[in-house]
Amino acid sequence: MSLSNILNNWSHYRRGAEEGGHHTYEHRWAMAINLDMCIGCNACSTACYSENNLAVVGREKFDKGQAMHWLRLERYWDEDSAEKEFPDSGAKFLPMMCQQCGSATCEPVCPVAATYHTPDGLNAQVYNRCIGSRYCSNNCPFRVRYFNFYSYYETSWPEPLNLQLNPDITVRDKGVMEKCTFCVQRIRTAQDTAKMADRNIIDGEFTTACAQACPTSAIVFGDTMDADSQVTRLWKKHQVVRHTTKQDKRNPELRGYRIFEELNVDPSIMYLERVRDTEV
Amino acid sequence: MKNYRILGLFNNFEEAFGALTDIRNNSVSGVSIDDVTLNSPIEHPEIEEVLGDRGTHLPKFTFAGAIFGLTFGFLFIAGAQATFLVQPQGGKPVIPLPSNFVLVYEMLIFFAVWSTFFAFLFLSKLFRKRHNLYSEKVSLDQIGVIIELDKAQLEPLKDLFKQHKVLEIREEDIK
Amino acid sequence: MIVSEKDINEQIKWAQINKDVLRSLENPRKAYWVALFICVAMFSCAIVAEIYQYNVGMGPTNLNNPHMWDMYIASFVFWIGMSHSGTLLSAILHIIHADWRKPIYRFAEAMTTFSLLTAGFFPMIHLGRVWNLYWVLPYVSDRGHWPNFRSPLAWDAFAISTYLSASMLFLFIGMIPDLAICRDNTTGWRKKLYTLLSLGWTGNDRQWRTFRKTYLLMACFLIPLAVSVHSIVSSDFAMAIMPGWHITSFPPYFVAGALYSGCAAIITLFVMLRYFFRFEEYMTTAIMEKTAKLTFAIAMVWTYLNLVEFAATWYGHNVYDKELLIAKAVGPYAWVFWTMIFCGMVVPFALAVQKFRRHMPTMFVVSLFLNLSMYFERWMIVAPTLSMSHQTHQWDVMWPSIIQWAIVFGSFGWFGILFLVFVKVFPSVSMYEVKEMVYHRKREAESDEAPATGKPNLEGAS
Repeated sequence: MSLSNILNNWSHYRRGAEEGGHHTYEHRWAMAINLDMCIGCNACSTACYSENNLAVVGREKFDKGQAMHWLRLERYWDEDSAEKEFPDSGAKFLPMMCQQCGSATCEPVCPVAATYHTPDGLNAQVYNRCIGSRYCSNNCPFRVRYFNFYSYYETSWPEPLNLQLNPDITVRDKGVMEKCTFCVQRIRTAQDTAKMADRNIIDGEFTTACAQACPTSAIVFGDTMDADSQVTRLWKKHQVVRHTTKQDKRNPELRGYRIFEELNVDPSIMYLERVRDTEV
Repeated sequence: MKNYRILGLFNNFEEAFGALTDIRNNSVSGVSIDDVTLNSPIEHPEIEEVLGDRGTHLPKFTFAGAIFGLTFGFLFIAGAQATFLVQPQGGKPVIPLPSNFVLVYEMLIFFAVWSTFFAFLFLSKLFRKRHNLYSEKVSLDQIGVIIELDKAQLEPLKDLFKQHKVLEIREEDIK
Repeated sequence: MIVSEKDINEQIKWAQINKDVLRSLENPRKAYWVALFICVAMFSCAIVAEIYQYNVGMGPTNLNNPHMWDMYIASFVFWIGMSHSGTLLSAILHIIHADWRKPIYRFAEAMTTFSLLTAGFFPMIHLGRVWNLYWVLPYVSDRGHWPNFRSPLAWDAFAISTYLSASMLFLFIGMIPDLAICRDNTTGWRKKLYTLLSLGWTGNDRQWRTFRKTYLLMACFLIPLAVSVHSIVSSDFAMAIMPGWHITSFPPYFVAGALYSGCAAIITLFVMLRYFFRFEEYMTTAIMEKTAKLTFAIAMVWTYLNLVEFAATWYGHNVYDKELLIAKAVGPYAWVFWTMIFCGMVVPFALAVQKFRRHMPTMFVVSLFLNLSMYFERWMIVAPTLSMSHQTHQWDVMWPSIIQWAIVFGSFGWFGILFLVFVKVFPSVSMYEVKEMVYHRKREAESDEAPATGKPNLEGAS
């Protein structure tokens, strides 16, 4: 908090995301989700519930829209689905979780800096700092931030279900916002293990709960700073690049896209379009 | 020197001004217009025409407050941001000028307004006990002229007041 | 028929002004006590609801995933908006020397202060963890934690604290000479209170000179401040990227809306005070006419900015924005939208009719309709955007629950309590300024009749 700090580092502190930002990234965690392989089984969502101590709110509160599913499976139909019989009506699934945006819109609006950008490219949500103004959720175009409207823990895990809670992370009380963390507890454990063994993290050494549970391996998780990782190869294969609002799609074989990248939020999840049977 | 304080209550501004104009023209020797305090129920800018321009230093305080708010505001916020590096968010720089501009603008007004207020309390000499010659009629509808003077000037001044239809005269020995 | 009437009877005696206004501290009509009782009852509803919500969490309000904000934020904007007219109009009219403000500015400024105090509650009520509210303030923490200076909510904290202190000081400074009058004319606890608050004001030339300068400087600061405060409140929406919020014209639109609802509230309170305290001599129909004309002008500005916003959205042809605009007009919230359009754009034309402007009960009803429209406007900004934002999967229609209604309802009670207690304890018509107004008007009238006389003899004075 001194004048010399401001003056000496002025140009450094004035760098936005366009010039690379203030951070030097150590990792850049990202995902590739192949929608063609998604069968809509909800295993990812269930795995997320058990890994991250997500509260089960019950039918009534779910209907009111107060559920806590960090990873939700969105189901869409073809526009003319009403005219068709079920198998042809074109159900599509989209696993939707926090996109860990590079220029996240949730971050600048938080009045107390409870959500911030970590040096490995995650949007960290600091539960202890959150005061529950809910502005972040309002400014999230993906609507993937979930608010603890009640003290859900009181009823979510009646005895002996409380024994299934993951001890690596907290149970949240009412009044704080939460969202997908890319299973940050697994990332940190892997980092610690690698550091103890004096080596780099090996791709595939760990993965998120959703990717682990996916029966068709539709979800691939990894570090895009690691040139050999599977996720990097997928991003490269589909020529999806960061820091852009529009991907080059001249080749129809390139199925990769990021949702709402036209809003310049720079999401970290690449989706691969579904190939329709009729189109093949 | 000035041992006495005298209060004359007048019915309206015209009569009070008549008396003051005479004082200004030195009709009573030794009593200067600078010894006069005018108490009135309303703000009346024309009193300066008879009392002379006595001026006020208030705008300087306001200006100083505004400048302080401007510089302190920016340095405080930028300094806080520069030490709080987990804050860089949403792709914006650590010290984002547009939002700091908004905050500095508010802090400029904040300090300007408060320094104006304290300068007002200080310069108008509030928080003092009202002296015995304060008349409640001043807050009703009469104009009070208070003059500090010597004993010798007491009588001539009373005569002067009476010429201008004074309603009531009170005097006080202040030592 | 054009009736032209004086703003105030300039033959009224200064002593009479003191007597009439001081009487308002003593014996209001019975309706005053009825109104106060109703306000207390309304406020207790909010207390019960807030205690429940504090214990249980935000769930019972019906807020849900897309609808993270609702009536609380709409009410926040509404109350902040209402606070604008009092101080802003008082300051502007002071600077342009429109002396008809003098009998009505005191209660208008009190309205500003109290609606700010009401507005301040809503960000707290709406917080998930209100007990940590102070984290928004920039204090030096041993953990090196600061608020996020980028967030429009943090700007709100700065803007509102600045505006609240500035408008309270403006109200207080303007009241000091009147407090001295009260001090000289009361006994008992009131005398002690007024003696303390009048800060030893004696009305000497030094005090008046400083006072005049202070008041002018404060007015000069309050005008840009008031405009900036509501622009900052509009940034809560305009700085977001949501369709229907991310609109460049929001700051002027909000300021116009703020003035509009504030003027409407001034008319409501004008009629009430005039009746409660028998202020017919001071709050005259001529002043009501001027206020109504001003409200009409502001209503037309607001209407224009509204239409500009619709047109810009339509021609901008952003798919999200356009769909939202259509949904506002024909979707589930359409009745709110059309009520807002009707009450905000059509009803104000009643103010263009002189017969209505001069009829107090009509003005009372019209002003209530205008305020209803302004409340709906704020709600129409908050709710539809959240119900239909970018992610179609999360589209949802939500109506606020009884808890939200009770707290919003109670906020009117809280405002009413503060305001009614204020007008009973402090003079709601500025005595010294009405005296000035009468004095100057009388002199003008006299100098019109006989230009040569009437001026004091000031030869040799300069």
